[in-house]
Amino acid sequence: MAKTILIVDDSASLRQVVGIALKGAGYDTVEACDGADALTKLDGRKINLIISDVNMPNMDGISLVKAVKQLPAYKFTPIIMLTTESQEGMKQQGKEAGARAWVVKPFQPQTMLDAVSKLVAP
Amino acid sequence: MNMDDAVRTFAAESRELLEEMEAALLTLEQSPEDSDLINAIFRAAHTIKGSSGVFGFEAVEAFTHVAENLLDRLRAGRLGVSAELIALLLACRDHIALLVEAAVVDEPLDGAGQAHGETLLTQLRGLLDGGSAPTSAAPAAAASETASETADSWSLKMNFQPELLQHGFDPLSLLRYLSGMGELVSVQRTGVLPPLAELDPELCYWGIDLTLAAEGLTRQALESAVEFFQEGGEIAIQPQPRAVELAPVASEPAVAPVATRAEAAPEGGSQRPPGWRTSGGKSIRVDAQKLDQLINLVGELVISGATTNLQAQRLGDERLLESMSGMSRLVEEIRDSALRLRMVQIGETFNRFQRVVRDTAAELGKAITLSVTGAETELDKTVVEKIGDPLMHLVRNAMDHGIESPEERVAAGKPSHARLGLNAYHDSGSIVIEVSDDGYGLDHRRILAKARERGLVGPNQQLSHAEIERLIFEPGFSTASQVTNLSGRGVGMDVVKRNIEALRGTVEVDTTPGRGTVFTIRLPLTLAIIDGFLVGVGHSSYVIPLDMVQECIEVTEEVRGETMSDARYINLRGEVLPFLRLNELFDEQRRDLTRENIVVVQYAGAKAGLVVEELLGEFQTVIKPLGPIFAQLRGVSGATILGTGEVAVILDVPQLVQAAAGQAGVSHNATVH
Repeated sequence: MAKTILIVDDSASLRQVVGIALKGAGYDTVEACDGADALTKLDGRKINLIISDVNMPNMDGISLVKAVKQLPAYKFTPIIMLTTESQEGMKQQGKEAGARAWVVKPFQPQTMLDAVSKLVAP
Repeated sequence: MNMDDAVRTFAAESRELLEEMEAALLTLEQSPEDSDLINAIFRAAHTIKGSSGVFGFEAVEAFTHVAENLLDRLRAGRLGVSAELIALLLACRDHIALLVEAAVVDEPLDGAGQAHGETLLTQLRGLLDGGSAPTSAAPAAAASETASETADSWSLKMNFQPELLQHGFDPLSLLRYLSGMGELVSVQRTGVLPPLAELDPELCYWGIDLTLAAEGLTRQALESAVEFFQEGGEIAIQPQPRAVELAPVASEPAVAPVATRAEAAPEGGSQRPPGWRTSGGKSIRVDAQKLDQLINLVGELVISGATTNLQAQRLGDERLLESMSGMSRLVEEIRDSALRLRMVQIGETFNRFQRVVRDTAAELGKAITLSVTGAETELDKTVVEKIGDPLMHLVRNAMDHGIESPEERVAAGKPSHARLGLNAYHDSGSIVIEVSDDGYGLDHRRILAKARERGLVGPNQQLSHAEIERLIFEPGFSTASQVTNLSGRGVGMDVVKRNIEALRGTVEVDTTPGRGTVFTIRLPLTLAIIDGFLVGVGHSSYVIPLDMVQECIEVTEEVRGETMSDARYINLRGEVLPFLRLNELFDEQRRDLTRENIVVVQYAGAKAGLVVEELLGEFQTVIKPLGPIFAQLRGVSGATILGTGEVAVILDVPQLVQAAAGQAGVSHNATVH
């Protein structure tokens, strides 16, 4: 069974590109446009990994990580955060919230694929 | 959905964001303190930069990056909102819009547009004071010296942070990823599990030491591979010396990964000193033949000690008797130590199966975990050597026929991961080895149907479950409907049984339909020496292995009168005890018609009585195997030489117990349950 990855980013095009890359490698994907939307997708379905942007309207990535860690069914789901180099402070906050994997924006789709496959094989 | 769709999405999204950005910039001019507006503007630029990077629209990304830096300063309050700034940002927004449109149609900007972009960049950089020039370049350059280091073989020593699993990180995924980068030459688990009571299943207690070989692998590639797993843990990456240099380094664990793992597992410690293997310096290698010779000599010593003892008793010299008793004790100790020399732990044999199970499970498409317990149980090396094949057969058989496919398991409400167990323990002078699985269990109906088809069981014969289960050890019996290349040709269980019986052992099966099957093998600890119980029948002496003797009872008139006439069982404190008359069995002339004793022997839960004339007491003896001529002899397992020089026959209790149960018409298992 293919592993399902939740992509959370306010940019639809970024979600699409990442989605194309992941699907090409054999993953299933679910998309959400921000943290609040992502939480509605964590409705009991199997999610093997979450890729989340940090800077998003409604609910940002850090709050999302904190919220996910409170969900018994999802608290052990690995999370990859997307940041830019200028966001060292964010990274620290993210770590405190419980995120451990980071991919720096902008990234090549292959870089993202690489990062994902380190944590979850398709 | 394809890339073109995604590019169209990017264009539409960027336009939307740029419109929002424009509106926000215009509003900001009115209310320069509104941080929400600044955030929205920043986010718009940030998102465009991020997605353009993913699409590889470098011109958009580069320009937006500079604009974003400025917006970041504005957001941090290090820059005041002014009419000029708003004007500049609006101009930048327009330029980004131009760049996006150009990128989407894959055409470069015209000369005027490019020049305009340069002007804007200069203005932006002026406001940034050039202070935020890429800072990462300098440290990156310094780091790149080691990062670009290449080698064909790398050693990775990884100690993970305990919370690794809680972050959802699976070391196995990392292994899989690394195996995609090159060849995993060796993988070794390190670390110690705490006792079960203190074990937190959410924590990661293991580390991994591995050697990865790939041509021209850079340190940087490895560092990036393990990057997510580094946090809070320790990952040491070292280039491995080339294989040629490796040869003299005897303690290099990478050379023999399988052997090292087997040895390292019980030791556990993750922080092993480099020379940890030299702890083996306390033991020496001895030719097995020399050991066998020693044990033979010790056997002879035991016998001649007994002879001397006998002579001393005849002479009745007190001082001689005293020194003899001291010597007897020493001989006994020497015998025990000599036997212990040949004892090895069964763990090594068990661990060989880890690989077998892993590979076979993959071949069969089943998920099977092997759990090994009692690995430290010791038994004679000669037994260990001969038990490998029967065990292999049982293990393969369990995986092939015993365990269901993951789908079937889930459908049956079982965890998809099956468990295969190997367990060993000592039980009254025997070693017991169990091969258990949590699969289908044996299908009694199918076995019985097959046995009837083969004519092994009469059409109206009723059998107990235990008897049906024992049918699988009949020659040529196999219920596997398909012949697989692993097992199922029907040449199996009977061979297993024969091999084990050749070691003076037995094999039994116990099954719970739907829950699994347990094969229990019982073997003597050693094949060389036994503690015996000497009995007299007629003019001969017989030896019964002492650990199987339960008690001795005198045949009183009462016992005799009650049941001894022709029934072949007596009432032993309310229990049915079938018995055998050894004088009849071995055609001995009775010497003493007045006295009879019953020695109650027990084997694997079943009991029987052996009627003898004389009880001669305990007797340690060396087993002299009988020649091949006697191979067909039932009820006899060997011979020994008594102190007097006489030969005594060693009785094969398992066979006798079965024979007694059979002739008394009492099923072997009826006495068990």
